[in-house]
Amino acid sequence: MLPALLRLSLRRALLALPLVLAVIAFTFFLIRLAPGDPAAILAGEAPTPEFLAQVRAEYGLDQPAWRQFVAFLGKAMTGDFGTSIYSKQPVFTVILERFPATVLLTGTAMVIASLIGILLGAASARRAGSRADALISAASLVGYSLPGFWVGQLLILLFAVSLNWLPAGGMVAARGSYTGWRHVEDVAFHMVLPVATLAVFLLTMIARFTRAAMVEALDQDYVLVAEAKGASRRRVLWNHAFRNAAVTTVTVIGLEFGMVLAGAVVVEIVFSWPGLGRLFYDAIHRRDFALLTGAFMFSSLVVIVVNMVSDIGCAMLDPRIRR
Amino acid sequence: MTLASPLPTRPAWVTRPLTVLAAVRRQPAAGVMGALLVLVTILGALLAPFLTAADPLALGSDTLAEPSWAHPFGTDDLGRDVLARVLYGGRVSLGIGLFSAAISVGLGMTIGMVAGFFGGLLDEVLMRITEAFQILPKLLVAVVVVSLIGSGLLNEILVIGLLSWPATARIVRGRVQVIRHEEFIAAAEMSGAGPVRLLARHIAPNVLSFLLVSASLQVASAIMSESFLSFLGLGDPEHPSWGLLLQQGQLFLQQAWWLTTFPGLALAMTVLGLNLLGDGLSGSHAAPARSRR
Repeated sequence: MLPALLRLSLRRALLALPLVLAVIAFTFFLIRLAPGDPAAILAGEAPTPEFLAQVRAEYGLDQPAWRQFVAFLGKAMTGDFGTSIYSKQPVFTVILERFPATVLLTGTAMVIASLIGILLGAASARRAGSRADALISAASLVGYSLPGFWVGQLLILLFAVSLNWLPAGGMVAARGSYTGWRHVEDVAFHMVLPVATLAVFLLTMIARFTRAAMVEALDQDYVLVAEAKGASRRRVLWNHAFRNAAVTTVTVIGLEFGMVLAGAVVVEIVFSWPGLGRLFYDAIHRRDFALLTGAFMFSSLVVIVVNMVSDIGCAMLDPRIRR
Repeated sequence: MTLASPLPTRPAWVTRPLTVLAAVRRQPAAGVMGALLVLVTILGALLAPFLTAADPLALGSDTLAEPSWAHPFGTDDLGRDVLARVLYGGRVSLGIGLFSAAISVGLGMTIGMVAGFFGGLLDEVLMRITEAFQILPKLLVAVVVVSLIGSGLLNEILVIGLLSWPATARIVRGRVQVIRHEEFIAAAEMSGAGPVRLLARHIAPNVLSFLLVSASLQVASAIMSESFLSFLGLGDPEHPSWGLLLQQGQLFLQQAWWLTTFPGLALAMTVLGLNLLGDGLSGSHAAPARSRR
């Protein structure tokens, strides 16, 4: 099993490489295409002449275009995204500082949403056409249509402003810095609302696609065979139908991960969560373009990798894809 | 569900446009409710001057006032009437949604038809590009482009439109691959029709019914994308959209609930309406397509 999977992983990685290059090339041309001097864009508004000269030399902006591209590409590939104009720190360092908070938020929301979404989708598909199915389908369409940041704002209005049960934002309590177990508790407490917001969107998406895939799977001959052999309903549903439907669910999560990350960006802004999304917002408002393009290239890379992993996950779930 | 005719070569609504209404009517709850929601928001945006006397951009002395008879949705931090801002904001949001969707659906249809019709290497190349566009985080690409090129209605429309075509392209390609092997295509080919004529006269009309579904979902997603950009502060303050109102509301979330509740409600209603409409329409069209096997 391992060699086949290893070969597939390598092939996927090779396929992802052109995409990574395309993102870097796109960013490069965007900076050149933008009105104004690329050096001024990367150096921020009203830079000192020394800093402007430093940026110009750093990116080789006095050299021909192709030399500039090679320099940009080489830097980007080694994780050198330039210097943040605002914090004067390397962009990559700033991003790595913020990334764990985003992973914590999206990861938790993803796990919760997958569990509930798959359960709802499967329950809906098992009783396709029933009233419960109609209710779940309608609810997931509504959830899917709600703008994520608005859901977050409403949750703040209800649970933080009116009821005062949960904090409205941040990752830790402003006063008193806790350590050890109290710190974990504090972060978890601050996570409830943002995770719930992000999970609503994810959950409805997963429920919708899982339902569709399960309805199709339950209609297949192998389900009929399993039923004829006397397998229990639960066994048919999970061992036969879901094993096949899961491929769709995993594919969808991979394909829509860009949307998930975008959702995380707005949720982080609404809840002042100190992650990558907040970084985007600050970079836009401070016109810190080195940071903005760096954060963009980094997020794209994350999306491409998640996609690759979901592809490999599909192959592990379904041996037919492995070939 | 709907009864399928055995050989639907051309969707009925192409020949008889009134059957669109019939199709919506056959999907009782979902489609009709979606159509109604969309109608309400369109009317609200169009009839804004008749529904409120207030000017969405006029400053007032009564700042952050709670909803009252004078200001049904309250006022914002500069004393502007929120009802007027929501109604006129609908023009911006719906307008951007419509124009971007027109670009993305047009582009997606063209690429999907060409890929599905010609197949081979061209199809392979186009589909790789489509996949690349699908994997990339569309909204983040839009954020970077608009930040660097500059915000403004036209830029927002172009960026959203040019980034949103892959979904349509894939659906259309799949349809065309099926239609390509129908007998009426072979007949047209034998009577000497070239590829352009085949695509324009024989294939395009058969894809149009799917475009209706695609278009309503695309408008919904474009409105969402616009609100995302505006929420990140990349909207046009001269033409406040619902997303921009929500961004301003965020600053006063703790003091003024009405600043976020009403624009968000309008946004959610519109997107839900369009999604319901798209679902209703696809329900009535997908049935014949499936029964063909």
